Amino acid sequence: MPSREAYVRPTAPIIPLLAKELREITAGRALWTMLLLVCPLVGYSFVQAVSLYSASSAAALQSPVLARSLSPLDGILVPTFGSFYVAVTLLFPFVAIRVLGQEKESGALRLLVQLPYRTSTLIAAKLCAVLAAWVMVSIPALSALFVWAILGGHLAAPETLNLLFGHLLYGLLAGAIGLFAAVISDNSATAAIIALAVTIGSWVLDFAFAGRSGLSAWLAELSLTQTLRPFEQGLLSAGLVLGIAAVIGGLIAMTIVWLPPGTPVRAKIIRSVSSVLVIAAGLGVATQIRASVDLSEDRRNSFSRADERLLATLRRPLVIRVNLAAEDPRYIDLRRNVLAKLERVMPDVTIVLASERPNVADPSDDYGQIEYVYDDRTDVSRSTSPREILPLLYALAGVQPPTSSVGEDYPGYPLVISADAALLWFFGGLPVLIALAWRRIRGAPPDKGSLVHQGDKP
Amino acid sequence: MSTVNNRSSPDRSAPLLGVRNLTKRYGSDGTAIDSVTFSAVAGEILGIIGPNGAGKTTLLEAVAGLLPVNSGDVFWRGEPLHADRRRDVLFYLPDGVRPYQDQSAQQVVAFVGSVFRRSKEDITSTIEALGLQPVLRKRVHALSKGYARRLMLTIGLLAPHDLLLMDEPFDGFDLRQTRDVMDLLRHQTAGGRTLILSIHQLPDAERVCDRFILLSAGQVRGSGGLAELRAQAGLRNGCLEDIFLALT
Repeated sequence: MPSREAYVRPTAPIIPLLAKELREITAGRALWTMLLLVCPLVGYSFVQAVSLYSASSAAALQSPVLARSLSPLDGILVPTFGSFYVAVTLLFPFVAIRVLGQEKESGALRLLVQLPYRTSTLIAAKLCAVLAAWVMVSIPALSALFVWAILGGHLAAPETLNLLFGHLLYGLLAGAIGLFAAVISDNSATAAIIALAVTIGSWVLDFAFAGRSGLSAWLAELSLTQTLRPFEQGLLSAGLVLGIAAVIGGLIAMTIVWLPPGTPVRAKIIRSVSSVLVIAAGLGVATQIRASVDLSEDRRNSFSRADERLLATLRRPLVIRVNLAAEDPRYIDLRRNVLAKLERVMPDVTIVLASERPNVADPSDDYGQIEYVYDDRTDVSRSTSPREILPLLYALAGVQPPTSSVGEDYPGYPLVISADAALLWFFGGLPVLIALAWRRIRGAPPDKGSLVHQGDKP
Repeated sequence: MSTVNNRSSPDRSAPLLGVRNLTKRYGSDGTAIDSVTFSAVAGEILGIIGPNGAGKTTLLEAVAGLLPVNSGDVFWRGEPLHADRRRDVLFYLPDGVRPYQDQSAQQVVAFVGSVFRRSKEDITSTIEALGLQPVLRKRVHALSKGYARRLMLTIGLLAPHDLLLMDEPFDGFDLRQTRDVMDLLRHQTAGGRTLILSIHQLPDAERVCDRFILLSAGQVRGSGGLAELRAQAGLRNGCLEDIFLALT
């Protein structure tokens, strides 16, 4: 029998642990079932999106003005990845739960926690497995991008990568929810109920409180759905990324807290409270960070470059008092077309929202007015268009409006094409390839498989 | 097969592991183990003996730091050993576990061997010693109860720790297999390893263990070698079953 003394080491190699986690997640049915379900879901969405885009393009080919409104980000990428988002929300937690739930149910967790790894290392390896699983289930959506490119469609790298990054963060968020649900549950069924309660519950939050003000607006902001919207608009927001990272980190921290079976529940609860406070602090900091980059090719989140340069020189505080209710469509327009852009480019902007709804019985003339205060000068407008508001601001600041730049206009990318043949790929070719890969992985392990990993010999 | 009576007694001067007043209660269900105190010395096989429900598994998991306890302490070579550090010095092999059921036995063994940095020769010799070769390519969920037990024992023996806690290590083996495994465990202690085994089959325990902790309803009803237990029970020639019945 082997001698033991030589092997007593405080730490263990990470590669076998990662390999084990990857084997575990690919050995289960959950991942492959989800992958097979995502194929037709994404495929159908993609073909429908191309069909609608093509119909719009047919009219736009004769009109450059119409063509400018045709962006593949809105027309193709967002709807295609929208179905992927639904699949990730509803199915991916099951995949993530399996990463931990299987070991809890089989009792293998009691072996795992005795191995010479830190608990954080164990959970980090599981998060890597979740990441790998997300990459696998995104294959149908990624293949849709290739099909679009093959069909001659336009893809702008920055906005496409930004959208992918948003979905990656969302996938990790769903995975972290699944891991935490698994660690606090006795079995996978309970974990699934908890995870779905969170994901579907956040949809309800979004539907119920969207467009409202005050606490309702704050609750709606907590919805998971909100995490993807800026990415879908081509915006990379540092605050949002930090906020999502804080929530993922907090959930992972709580998973680490709850994993060791030998820790008393009371201690776990106390440590969890600390994690929740850290998450709250992270979210608080995230809300204060305004830095963002507009990665959309049509610069939908920005004023023209000349306007941005000039606005950035207006260093004094700008106070905007909006006499509109938060759910008023005019405020939503103003927010999207002007306020959000001003906040991104000007150093000191304060927006005061009069959130009360107008009294129908006693309508006030003030409702709908937007007051701009800059450097002790004041002006009032009811417009929600930057064409009227920017000259107003320049007048308040006493500067000349910039001359409009030439060649900055987004050309648009109309494309009349049919993607019906791609259905063969999404409903036939890709599922068959996935089934073959599943069968190969589920097959007997290779006879020549080494009993020890390369490089791990003492 | 040697028995407890004709083996040389281990050195009892320095307890490797000490357990003092360990108590675990499960809510309103009552006390699972109640002020359990015992010690294990280096190189011995200590049997935790008792019927089903006596608290054997709870005791082992509490000692291994896998179960929070209400009170009590564990010592390693006389020094307090916090629950977080127990995995550094001991390894617990639970009962009824089929780890990583969708992976092959070979993959599971290779994983554990790699984690503990065991050489290919070590892994191979452990597999051969436990007769696991015929099922290496089978998935764990397809293993028979006996082979699943061998797989678990392989995992345990690949662990480099000085102290192994094993919950029902002979469950699922027939008589011949049980004796073979006993020989293997005895060989382990000859190499300096200490074993604490939870066993509910008293004849098995009598064959393999140097000393015994008799556990009933979560309490220690007797402890020591067979001769000491006979003295405690007032039985001159009784077997372990007789002693257990007399003391519990």
